[in-house]
Amino acid sequence: MNMKTRSINKIIGIAAVLFFAMAFMAFIAPQDQKKGGPWEIPSKYAKMENPYAGDTDLIKIGKMLYSKHCKSCHGNKGLGDGPKAKQLETFPGSFATETFQDDTDGEMYFKSIIGRDEMPNYEKKITDDEDRWAIINYLRTLK
Amino acid sequence: MKKLNIFLTILLLLPVFLIAQDEETEIARVKSKPVRAPFGCPVVIDNQTVYIPTAKTLEFVIEHRFDKIENISNLFGIYGSSNIRLGVNYSITNKLSVGFGTTKYRKLQDFRIKYNILEQTRDDKMPVALTAYGNMGIDARAESYFGQNYKFTNRLSYFTELIVARKFTDWLSIQVSGSFSHINRVDSLMEHDKIGISFSGRARVTAQSSIIFNYGIPLEIKGIQEHTTLTNPPKQNFGIGWEISTSTHCFQIFVTSATDLSPQYTMMENQNDWLDGDLFFGFTITRLWSF
Repeated sequence: MNMKTRSINKIIGIAAVLFFAMAFMAFIAPQDQKKGGPWEIPSKYAKMENPYAGDTDLIKIGKMLYSKHCKSCHGNKGLGDGPKAKQLETFPGSFATETFQDDTDGEMYFKSIIGRDEMPNYEKKITDDEDRWAIINYLRTLK
Repeated sequence: MKKLNIFLTILLLLPVFLIAQDEETEIARVKSKPVRAPFGCPVVIDNQTVYIPTAKTLEFVIEHRFDKIENISNLFGIYGSSNIRLGVNYSITNKLSVGFGTTKYRKLQDFRIKYNILEQTRDDKMPVALTAYGNMGIDARAESYFGQNYKFTNRLSYFTELIVARKFTDWLSIQVSGSFSHINRVDSLMEHDKIGISFSGRARVTAQSSIIFNYGIPLEIKGIQEHTTLTNPPKQNFGIGWEISTSTHCFQIFVTSATDLSPQYTMMENQNDWLDGDLFFGFTITRLWSF
């Protein structure tokens, strides 16, 4: 085996190790995601009444808006398993849990529309208040 | 003194009445909310839509047309020559946006403005949306392309359009538009002006995906024609495709018979006949940033 072949084999060997290391990291990365800490929700929001509570007509609108704005991270059923979720440093959480569903509508509104850190603010993207509450009404169906 | 007291009382009560009026206006406004997103993208294949992103939104637009779809050897046009436009638009208000773009064909630099005159309302008090669009293009190729007696104004072209749109159901929106195109310098046998009409639509299939189409018809109106017989009259253009719109992006992939990325040249110079199979793959991507 000449020097050139040995060098090529060495490079291929290093590349193979790097490839498998990267592939392995792909399985490790999601476990490294942080869990989001408790939210500090201003009382103005926590006490906020949902003017459209129980309006089932809005669920369809909420589902449509959820698909457009939320699904890519939060997943089809709100389990936090959307295609972009793995890129996040913080696990987006599951909307099906009791912890989330125990929130008041106002608390959900703050988390969904105002956001924090990796959860973006949607005030400028979803400008109509009725549309914002439509999303909250839809989140209630993801139990 | 008594008169002064009455005057002051009225003055103090005035804001109460004003607030009451505001509330009434507010109730009326709530009832007459605009319909939700009749279109999800600022363009529908080769035409503008009535959609303008919310105020203070910057939009980056990439428009691409591949070569003519022929066979596998040119990978249905993907290996051939292409046209591309890169543009930015900024929404100054919810109803007004301005933009600039640069295109490979003719090295065209375009400035554009779009204004929502009317919005369709949910209570149908206003049954349609009405939007005006205009652009000015500057052909930035070398002077030699313009022949003798060159003047800067030879480079200019214009397009103005009035778009009427209606969202018929949650899933179907249709728009019709009338346009006027003008190119300052054309070959001696060609026309400077063209009136056209276009039909476009979006049929939503899922929350994010829609089927889209566009059909443009350059009209032959004797009254505004400079020549009795038209040389190479422009062909009607047709496009059909798939749209996916998300929170911050819009993607469209389609086949179309128009390769120009400026509507005035599509209306005045398109020689591709879709009925003869002159079709091209194309795509549009937009990215939105809110400020």
